[in-house]
Amino acid sequence: MSESRTEEFMERFRVLIRITDLSQRLADPLKEVMTELLETSCTRLKAAGASILVRKEDSGALTFLAATGEVADQVIGLEVPAGKGIAGFVLMSGQPMAISQPDDESGFYAEVDKATGFSTEHILAIPLRFRNDIIGVLEYVNRAADAPSEAFTAAEMDVATVYAESVAALVNAFFEGDLLYDLSSRVANTEEERREVQTWLRSIRDVSSHGRALEIAALINELASMGDAEIELCRKVLESIIAYSRSNLSGLEFTDE
Amino acid sequence: MSRTGGSTQNKGPTPKPSSDRDWLEATGRGVTVAIIDSGVDATHPELAGRIVDEVGARVEGSKVTFTRVDDGDLAGHGTACAGIITKVAPEAKIASIRVLGASGSGDAQVFLAGLEYAVKQRYKIINLSLGTTKPQFFAPLHDLLDRAYQAGCIVIAAANNLPQPSFPSIFSSSLISVVKSEETDPLKFGFHYGEVIELTAPGVNIRTPWFGGGYRTLTGNSFACPHITGLLARMVETYPDLTPFQAKAELYAVASRNAHNTR
Repeated sequence: MSESRTEEFMERFRVLIRITDLSQRLADPLKEVMTELLETSCTRLKAAGASILVRKEDSGALTFLAATGEVADQVIGLEVPAGKGIAGFVLMSGQPMAISQPDDESGFYAEVDKATGFSTEHILAIPLRFRNDIIGVLEYVNRAADAPSEAFTAAEMDVATVYAESVAALVNAFFEGDLLYDLSSRVANTEEERREVQTWLRSIRDVSSHGRALEIAALINELASMGDAEIELCRKVLESIIAYSRSNLSGLEFTDE
Repeated sequence: MSRTGGSTQNKGPTPKPSSDRDWLEATGRGVTVAIIDSGVDATHPELAGRIVDEVGARVEGSKVTFTRVDDGDLAGHGTACAGIITKVAPEAKIASIRVLGASGSGDAQVFLAGLEYAVKQRYKIINLSLGTTKPQFFAPLHDLLDRAYQAGCIVIAAANNLPQPSFPSIFSSSLISVVKSEETDPLKFGFHYGEVIELTAPGVNIRTPWFGGGYRTLTGNSFACPHITGLLARMVETYPDLTPFQAKAELYAVASRNAHNTR
């Protein structure tokens, strides 16, 4: 690889890392908060599980973005075709709805139950509105094990509507982060490359030393802003330390006096 | 062509609901109610022989057309509403105008086209459980509802209980908007004159037919709406030339009597 090609590659790689890191920093906590909110609201509404379904712009289908409960892991990523099931109707009508006690095999969008082995008896479905658009549906299913198996009430529908407001704001923020994620796809040469960067970023964030590493990075960044001489000095110091550490397999020992 | 058993135009003497309320004994015979919804399962035992027309929206570019369909209900909701209407008005017929699933996302454009279709077909009573919060549809819907009013179509819309206003349920002058109550008797509805959503009707734990032959217990404003629609079918059987204004006045009178009797 020529020097200019290497420079170009490195620059693109740096951009990719920055964008991927930013999108993860935005999206990951939002998903965690969404799941926490689902758990909190489930407790409040005595529901066995809850999920957030979001509308896909191109097809109008609904995808499970986040979920909590017995089959949460199985439903995330599942798709409900446009206009199908309770969620499809709630998305279209903008009407909150509680449905209960099926006394036959028909009814709720059975494909989800088939895929998960779950048996839906009660649903409370609330549209997720952000500004003037319906962007998805918040669903609560069945009653918690310690609660009587009865229909969701009108009062619970009102409570769920309040939760839906917060969920809608989180979903919208998540989509904003998703735009950056799309941008990282454009910068990366392949999907594999993007995933690699993503995994690497996750792994370094998971280790306890990451905070200290970031502090060093910040110091270097500050030093680099002072000028070329400082950058060169910094590079030489770091190279010397690395060379020394490599020659002494036990590495440096540092004692806090 | 009239779809009501009576004309939507005023012919002959203006009907006046009588003070003895003989429409309360009516069953909706000869009255066809249009339901703009997810379709209706015509094979459900409770609805057998009740569905006189079934059309579904087809979207081609920006054009929405309606053609005959025979694949029933896509989500269950329309069947549930039809079940409530025919319970309240046991001899009323249903015309299903399906607007769900036609365009993928079920957008407001299709729903608007469905309402326009119903008004053009001159259905005297139109049940609407859908709405939109998109401001760009405010003016077209307002215009369409005014045209429906002038054509003598009585439109009944479900309100939503969400913070954002939804159209057309907030258009108080040209239609009848309904929100759910915990009342169980369809005749014990409420009328709150001066409020954005004026009518309250049973909408909590309503057991009604569901597509595929079964039943469901449902809660929501969209199940309150067909209770009022059913009562209006009874009213129109008795007074085929009833205007939207007269319908509202009569509902107000009965609701006032209800309120007075419960004091």
